[in-house]
Amino acid sequence: MTRVTESQLGRVNLSNISRSKEKILKLNEEIDSGYKVQTPSDSDASAVIEKYHQALDKLATYKNRTASVKSFLTYQDDNLSQVSDLLNRAREVATQAANSTNSPGTRAQMAEEVFQIRDHLVSLANAQYQGKYIWGGAQDTNQPYDAQTYTNPPTGGASQRYVWDNLAGRDITRTVNISENLTIGIDSQGNTVFDNALQGLERLGRALAGYQTSPASGVPTGAGAAYNFPTDYTLQTQDIQNALNLLDQARSNDIEPKRVELGGKLRRIDTAESLLSLTQTNAEEALDKLQNADIAESASALTQAQSVLQASLSVTARVMNQSILDYL
Amino acid sequence: MANYSAKILNNATGALAAQQAVIAAASNNIANANTPGYSRRVVELQTRASGGEGVGVNVGNGVEVGRLARLTDTFLEKLVRDTTADKNYYGVQNDLLRRVDALFSVTGDKPTIGSAMTAFFASVNDLAANPSSIPLRSTMIDRGNDLVSAIRTTFQTIADIQNEADGRIATEIQGVNSLTQQIGSLNDRIRANERTGNTDADSRDQRDVLMQRLSEKIGYSTVELPDGTVTLSLSNGFVLVSGGDARQLQTTPNPSFSPGSLPPALNGGILSYIVYDYSGGAGAPAHVDLSRVIGGGGGTLGGLMAVRGYNDPNNTSAFDADGVLVGVASRVESIARQLLTTINQSYLGPDNDPGTAGHQPSAGDLDGHTADFYNATDHAYNLFSFDFNGTKDADGDGLPNDLNALGVDSFARVLQFGVSDPRRIAAALNAGSLGSPVYAPGDGRNLENLAGFETNSTMNFSVGSYSMTGTFGETYAESVGYVGNSVGSVKTQLDVTTDNLTTALNHRDEVSGVSLDEEFTSLIKFQKAYQASAKLIKVADDLLTQIVNIL
Repeated sequence: MTRVTESQLGRVNLSNISRSKEKILKLNEEIDSGYKVQTPSDSDASAVIEKYHQALDKLATYKNRTASVKSFLTYQDDNLSQVSDLLNRAREVATQAANSTNSPGTRAQMAEEVFQIRDHLVSLANAQYQGKYIWGGAQDTNQPYDAQTYTNPPTGGASQRYVWDNLAGRDITRTVNISENLTIGIDSQGNTVFDNALQGLERLGRALAGYQTSPASGVPTGAGAAYNFPTDYTLQTQDIQNALNLLDQARSNDIEPKRVELGGKLRRIDTAESLLSLTQTNAEEALDKLQNADIAESASALTQAQSVLQASLSVTARVMNQSILDYL
Repeated sequence: MANYSAKILNNATGALAAQQAVIAAASNNIANANTPGYSRRVVELQTRASGGEGVGVNVGNGVEVGRLARLTDTFLEKLVRDTTADKNYYGVQNDLLRRVDALFSVTGDKPTIGSAMTAFFASVNDLAANPSSIPLRSTMIDRGNDLVSAIRTTFQTIADIQNEADGRIATEIQGVNSLTQQIGSLNDRIRANERTGNTDADSRDQRDVLMQRLSEKIGYSTVELPDGTVTLSLSNGFVLVSGGDARQLQTTPNPSFSPGSLPPALNGGILSYIVYDYSGGAGAPAHVDLSRVIGGGGGTLGGLMAVRGYNDPNNTSAFDADGVLVGVASRVESIARQLLTTINQSYLGPDNDPGTAGHQPSAGDLDGHTADFYNATDHAYNLFSFDFNGTKDADGDGLPNDLNALGVDSFARVLQFGVSDPRRIAAALNAGSLGSPVYAPGDGRNLENLAGFETNSTMNFSVGSYSMTGTFGETYAESVGYVGNSVGSVKTQLDVTTDNLTTALNHRDEVSGVSLDEEFTSLIKFQKAYQASAKLIKVADDLLTQIVNIL
């Protein structure tokens, strides 16, 4: 037979009560905070939980970045769509002007419209998005196309030409991480998109205004001499035709491929976005299982722990109160 | 006839005395029912042997008090002491490490090194995508400062806990000294009082209490000698108490066995050593190092040493020490060092001129400043920096990889974020020539490279005995796992040892504890016996009176 002393009874009862209370405190905390795991020592999987948090934090920033890249690329695409429209309009004008029924005077009047189209094109090439030039390359705070005065400006026509401001760093492509292993290059090198179109318009405008285009290629400097009509009428028509060809080339070799490229990037971003959302949902689910308290479960466990505590308390009260003294 | 009457009277008086002794012992037991360390005492009665001769049959000579038994079990007392040492060993560790645990919270909504690191690299990525944005540049500076402050705060808290543990070791050693001294004087008293063969139960109770309290602080072994004294010794045989002598331990940051300058602690101070001074005041001090022996022995001091760590005098750095805190601090430090080396080196950009000896930085900011390696007067030339007073770039390769020669032990404590002006972030790489560099405002290539270090590049994080190859994120997650495992196992062990202690105390009380029911039962029993003995005197008196009346 074992001897049982009062101090043993007291100790056993007290430790049972404090164990129950400890459990209640823990469950209480779980329910209050919603977390089963708050500090590393709460779980064997705390390193895994930390990795999920890192991944989720990263996903959130990827999503933000993806959204801003997408809006930038969409802006570029809209910009090029307007360029495309402008080139169509310029082509119509050029085709009409090339018609040999037009007199040099009529052609000179058409020059004005061509220069307006050109100015519009330059404004598109110098467009800004959130304060940055979208076609300026890495020099996005410097205007990509600068105005220069023609050596020989036509009377009543445009006095300025526009040239690519070729600063160092214009050709740098930005690479943006839009998900764990996917990067999108943001190419905003304006001269590869606009130079041919601009040259075509300049040459067309100069020719219509009645000046020979020189040098033979590139942006006319305005040094070309005036045509001598009627002798040079055929030459003028030829120059108009050449400019027209240049415009067609610009559209099919520069603008359209660029738009196709942008469309491809936007589609890749869409795919990446939906993948990001999927990954996020998966990670959140996994984290939820590892870290978050199941409130219903915790609440029922709490009720159970409370019952155990009540039982302990009542047992303690009864047992500790019993003594031979009551019967003496 | 008369002989028997005398015997009756004799037996009755002897019995009265004996029953009284038992009742007195019971009263003492009841009075001390709740006294800590009290062991139940029982008066052992025995039949009286003397005076067997005489006429007629020898009916016996009554009862006498044999001896006072103190009900203890040396094995159970030892078990209680050992489990107490275990419980305190884990208890103190749990108290201290819980605070480290909280630093590495995994809820995701409290600022930690991990969340600050993810946020910092996200800001680098964001700025790389839009390098000329001043608001994004400011954000990167904010996130960089957040990261630096998370690292510094975490490291400082760990260093503070180590310092606190170090201070508590000194206090606990004073407690140990006071206890061993008292045990020594009780040894003296018990030896003197028990020379007669009696048990000095009160002194033994007191000594048991003191030994129990000593076992809360350190682990030790005991031997009881025939003269009643106990000898207490450490696991290496070092005698703490022998007879009335108690050896006084000391803590010192300048032990005589140190070969020269001692390795620093995490906060730059020196961890004290627990020593015994053999010289006794005369001659050169001759310290013997007991830190490791006491540290390995359990108890509060063992727990404190396990947390604080022991830095061997031959070590050179705070991170060469052992212990959980140093383990955690090494991980934080390794992250700080990677920021100062790999990240800073990447921030300088690729070598601008491989033809010239040394690394020529190729990264620059919005205003044309080229990133620089440890510009002593202006930290703004580098991303992560600190004040240093050692040799800059000892190997002359132009790279920030000579951290060892800089006269700084813990970089996590002094880490700073160098850039405060948003325009000074070197996001661009040189787009011009070597002599006249051009840093395009929209060029974020340098930051693109930098951002790649978050997940794509594995590097070797190593400080002290810690070594880990992985990315920043992996290293931090490993640290979280390390903290979780260290603290978690201490928690579990604390639960186990607390249960063990309860069991041991219950076992002890089963033998030595006072049961009031038992005492009262024996009270009633002996009260009745006392009454009966008193009645015997009356009977003997009656018998004698009868005879006297006849005469």
